[in-house]
Amino acid sequence: MAFLKSKWVVATLVILCWASAASFAAGYYYYQYSDLLIKTRGKIIRVNLGVNYGDGRPTVWFNGTEARMGSTLLDVTMLVVNVNYTMYPGMGALVNSIDGVANSHPRYWMWWMWTTWGGWVEGPVACDRYVVGDNETLFWYYEDTSVSPLPKPP
Amino acid sequence: MKTSDASIVAALAALCVATNYVLVSVPNVKLMDFLVFIGGFCFGAFAGTLIGVLTWAVYGVINPYGFVLQVWLATMLSESIYGVAGGLLRKSLSVTGFNGQYLRVSVFFGAMGFLLTLIYDVITNIAYALTLMEKVPVAVVILYGVPFTLLHEISNATIFGVCSIPMITAISKIAGRETFGVSKK
Repeated sequence: MAFLKSKWVVATLVILCWASAASFAAGYYYYQYSDLLIKTRGKIIRVNLGVNYGDGRPTVWFNGTEARMGSTLLDVTMLVVNVNYTMYPGMGALVNSIDGVANSHPRYWMWWMWTTWGGWVEGPVACDRYVVGDNETLFWYYEDTSVSPLPKPP
Repeated sequence: MKTSDASIVAALAALCVATNYVLVSVPNVKLMDFLVFIGGFCFGAFAGTLIGVLTWAVYGVINPYGFVLQVWLATMLSESIYGVAGGLLRKSLSVTGFNGQYLRVSVFFGAMGFLLTLIYDVITNIAYALTLMEKVPVAVVILYGVPFTLLHEISNATIFGVCSIPMITAISKIAGRETFGVSKK
């Protein structure tokens, strides 16, 4: 491999890798920071939280639930219902049950967020990693995860 | 493709599937990309592509994370990047072999693993965003996935860098060194 005889070729490739990784990481943290800034304005926030147990019962809504700014979805959920969860290092919290309704394959507790641009959107991270914003509407849905794409909240 | 080569390609594809299932609980750390690359390097771009496609034909359909046709097609086609790159590099490397430049070649393979994975992740993330995240901006989906993307790239860079030369040398011994033109003096 003739071009490998120049050490600068290898050095350039390594620097290119580093630059790509640094750019992606910077973009990620910038986005997270901007999102956090928007969400943590004010001291007390109000969150609308819906819970659907997936057994035919109507959705239970906890509208206007007050929480401290910076609270995560898990924090807010634990304010209004009984939650059992397992913490996975590096991944976050997995909710095992809400009010005694436990995960049982293929039905699991999934969370959704309401957006103005796309309606219900599946939670992108573990619930303890998601900092809730003021007046945000979030939803816990006990649903069949073997269906793809996942059914959106009713 | 010779019969012996075809059998090794099939064995590599089976190895890809098996290691994928073994590592299913470790997100984004897989040996598959490396094995597809090695397949392409040792047996040509077509063989590498074949390994990637065959692997995804099994692992993509019987997948514990679910099946989505569009994402499956995107991952299957993107996986061929590794095989094609391996095949192209094979031609360049066969001129001089690894002689006396193991460290440099290892770093080079590591960097290639990183960059190829970056391309793969960007393509598959775009396919995921367009298919499953409907109205979410593609850039947001890509940024949300950055921790997983970087984990994938760093793990692949490490695997490619550390394992490529030993693996190529081993396959050379098994299938006959003249097949690859890789000198091991």
